[in-house]
Amino acid sequence: MGQYLPILALLILAVLFAAISFVASGLFAPKRTTSAKRAPYECGVEPAQDTPDRFPVRFFLVAMIFIVFDIEIIFLYPWATIFRQLGLFGLVAMFIFAFAVFESFVYLIGNGALDWGPVKRAVRRELVDPGRTANTTIRRVGAEGRMEFDDVDTRTATPGEAA
Amino acid sequence: MPAIFSLDPLFLGDAGNLEILAIVLAKVVIAFAGLMVSVMLMVWWERKFISDLQNRIGPNRAGPFGILQTLADGIKLFFKEDLIPDQSDRFVFKLAPYLSLVPAFLVFAVVPIGGDFSNGGDGLISVFGNDTYVQLADPHIGILFVLAMSSIAVYGIMLAGWSSGSKYPLLGSVRASAQMVSYEAALGLALVAVLLKTGSLSTTTIVREQAGEGPEFLGLFPMPDWNVIVLGVVPFIIFFIATTAELNRPPFDLVEAEQEIVGGFHTEYSSIRFALFFLAEFMNVVTMSAVMVTLFFGGPAGPDLGVLPAALWGFVWFFAKLFVFLCLFIGLRGTLPRLRYDQLMDLGWKLLIPLALGWVLFLATLDVFSDRGWTSGGERLVVTGVFLAAMLVFAGLLMVAISNGKKARERDGEEVFG
Repeated sequence: MGQYLPILALLILAVLFAAISFVASGLFAPKRTTSAKRAPYECGVEPAQDTPDRFPVRFFLVAMIFIVFDIEIIFLYPWATIFRQLGLFGLVAMFIFAFAVFESFVYLIGNGALDWGPVKRAVRRELVDPGRTANTTIRRVGAEGRMEFDDVDTRTATPGEAA
Repeated sequence: MPAIFSLDPLFLGDAGNLEILAIVLAKVVIAFAGLMVSVMLMVWWERKFISDLQNRIGPNRAGPFGILQTLADGIKLFFKEDLIPDQSDRFVFKLAPYLSLVPAFLVFAVVPIGGDFSNGGDGLISVFGNDTYVQLADPHIGILFVLAMSSIAVYGIMLAGWSSGSKYPLLGSVRASAQMVSYEAALGLALVAVLLKTGSLSTTTIVREQAGEGPEFLGLFPMPDWNVIVLGVVPFIIFFIATTAELNRPPFDLVEAEQEIVGGFHTEYSSIRFALFFLAEFMNVVTMSAVMVTLFFGGPAGPDLGVLPAALWGFVWFFAKLFVFLCLFIGLRGTLPRLRYDQLMDLGWKLLIPLALGWVLFLATLDVFSDRGWTSGGERLVVTGVFLAAMLVFAGLLMVAISNGKKARERDGEEVFG
């Protein structure tokens, strides 16, 4: 365990440094606190909402997939240090193992488990003439009144899906 | 014995306990002071360099060229009011800076920063008749210690954001932890490639393996035997990108994206607590650059060019390589725009991790078959070809999965114009 002695010494020194910094700050720093200063940061206005207790489930998914990969990496380390002694046997075993993990990874990706951000789906509406009509003299602007969807991403929109 | 396990002989010899303790304490204090000074200089150099990139002058008041600016800022922060928000979890709020700072210090313990590795040297120096390495510690787990410490640093950031009781720190810390664990997987896989070649986790052994001359460059002159060349450049690039993301440096600084979430996880921190986070961040930049130098660029190994004593050339080479990396990080910050979160996650999971895994298996396959006598050019080509064909199949599979996932999400997506 002697090899870890310097690390322990550095650990103690680092903790001491942080602790002494806090003590020094406590001695030197002014204490003129007000409730406004202690309020949650909201660019100077009163917070309109409380801090959310929940956040998107995708972050949990990332953590779980990370554990799967971390386990794979943990198995890779000991193999990597002695793979020459293990030879072909070790290589084949590692290929099988890597394939097993990769396959579950592909399944996750295929289900969109690691995709982020809102996705919008462009849908064709009933098309109207953008020009003036007998009902209104207001010329319609924007994509919704146009005969063409030139500027709109219509990759996923099919005529059958028209709303 | 030390050649195989590469343990620091200081603890294996017959030196007295007090003598060992004195040497260890001296090393620790020097490392601590050196690290603090290097972080101070790094912060100053980053501000100065980025100013040049942006046509500004940068700090130029405190000391010559403003070199003492960081020190002045640090002292100023001691005199600033230390606020603890009402809605925070007070214990965790106070604990988080420790969790962030202490691992940043500890990573440096396993980095060899000097020693003479030229001409088959073992990198040992003699301190009052006791042989020791020019690094704090060289335990069996070696480089795994770096990974362990960088994992603990995630807790510091996660808990800092969570305990603040405020929405921007929470968002920042959730982003940070997802980003850091994602890229830690890529980091770990790129590291496996180094272990394939070295067969040891010890950082000293990794450096020693890279000393000397490597393959010839187009048959003209020998290149250094650095891992970055021997392993193909791919593991290094993956490691570098993953490190940048681990460090939350631009272009991966979504954790502190000030236009979106103020200051990220340390929004509610002020005074010396903020200073410690800041210190930890820059210390991580320095230590992770040092780790990259160790793993891929031969650390302190380099030719002995005379003039200086041989033992000093180790320091010179190490700091020269380190400086290049520090400038590279600053250059990235000065030139690249920040990624979007989905781009960040896609890069990590769908490109870097599969590529790193494939590359590791490729290197292992080549080595195993050359051990079995498949050493001629034609035979190696066959192995490479078969492997590449198999990998293309898997890459195609992944591509199909990605497009399927995208389609499924678009089907469930919110309608526009609907």
